[in-house]
Amino acid sequence: MPLDWRAALTREGHRVILSGLPIAMHCHHYSINLQRMLEETLDSEGVGLLFRAAEEASLLGFRSILRQYPKIRTVKSKLELASTVYQNCGMGIIHFQQIGPKGGIIESPSSHHVTGWLAKHGGRHSPGCHFARGWIAGVLEAIYGKPLGSYLVTELACKMTREPKCVFQVKEA
Amino acid sequence: MAIDGHKIVQAVMEGSRIRDAKGIIPIFGVYLCLFFVQYYNRLSFEFEKKMGKTRRDESARLLIEAAQECGYATFQGIRNSWEWEEIVQPMIEKKEDQILGFTAVAVAFGWGDLEVKELIPEEKLLIRVQDSYEATGYLQGYGLADSGKCYMLRGVTAAFMDLLYGGQYPEGCFAFLAEEPFCRAKGDPYCEFVARKNPGFGSP
Repeated sequence: MPLDWRAALTREGHRVILSGLPIAMHCHHYSINLQRMLEETLDSEGVGLLFRAAEEASLLGFRSILRQYPKIRTVKSKLELASTVYQNCGMGIIHFQQIGPKGGIIESPSSHHVTGWLAKHGGRHSPGCHFARGWIAGVLEAIYGKPLGSYLVTELACKMTREPKCVFQVKEA
Repeated sequence: MAIDGHKIVQAVMEGSRIRDAKGIIPIFGVYLCLFFVQYYNRLSFEFEKKMGKTRRDESARLLIEAAQECGYATFQGIRNSWEWEEIVQPMIEKKEDQILGFTAVAVAFGWGDLEVKELIPEEKLLIRVQDSYEATGYLQGYGLADSGKCYMLRGVTAAFMDLLYGGQYPEGCFAFLAEEPFCRAKGDPYCEFVARKNPGFGSP
């Protein structure tokens, strides 16, 4: 069942709504400024905050999206829907190819945060897709019906460090 | 001709539905993404919490600066984009109209119902917002605040003035500073942002 993006993304007056929840459009300057400020000020605590905030929001948000598509029942279809939502939100491309309820490997050949980071700061020395790690954890928790904090997501390779693609490893927490 | 906010909202909504083969939304000269406001609120308010009471002023300053730098670069990109040239520029009659164009784009982005209440060229900008997602998010997640919590909108208000009166880009960021005397998060009926010249700007 294809995602009806026009129906999913609507306006209620000045509010922009995605599947019943308020969203905001922000550009790479803000996404990357926030990330850099959190990393520089709080170091690993800041990285943890980026992960957890993305995980919480994507868990809640994707649960809401799934409720709007009750006919999407199989895990495969739900993963496809997640990929489409990621792309439609301008987050990039993500491939859930080797994933199950206990974890697996996920690849991303392009993303908003990578494009934004490279545009603003060039490369970096350590993986930097903290948002994507959190987003993956939250979406998988929504799909497999697990609570917040169920997954650990590690970035094995990152395009911000000039690798050809971002690769994420998912494990049960 | 007045700035037609509805036209700008429509253009942003249509543009936000167009993404390239990499899943990126290039619009108005920037890369746009759409995500739940809960994420941005969580980042801001948990950051503030982690910094603690002793570093409260510093955390507010960092959040405002991050937004002001963003607003400065973002709206510079926006006003130099072909979309601005095509959709907004024909509605602009005088320099100050750019601010109305900026606020219409901010409304289109889902940042709130921004309304310019006062603009004194080169001196003061007052923007009122009845429904800022930051104030709503703070009230929902943390209860009543004892200070203004709309750090993003505060930085962005100052950035609007930086772009118009701060001098040559990119030298004008922080030529203005904004305050938030009223905020719904602390029980006020609306949020208000007042940008004025930064007295320390340009000094060594």
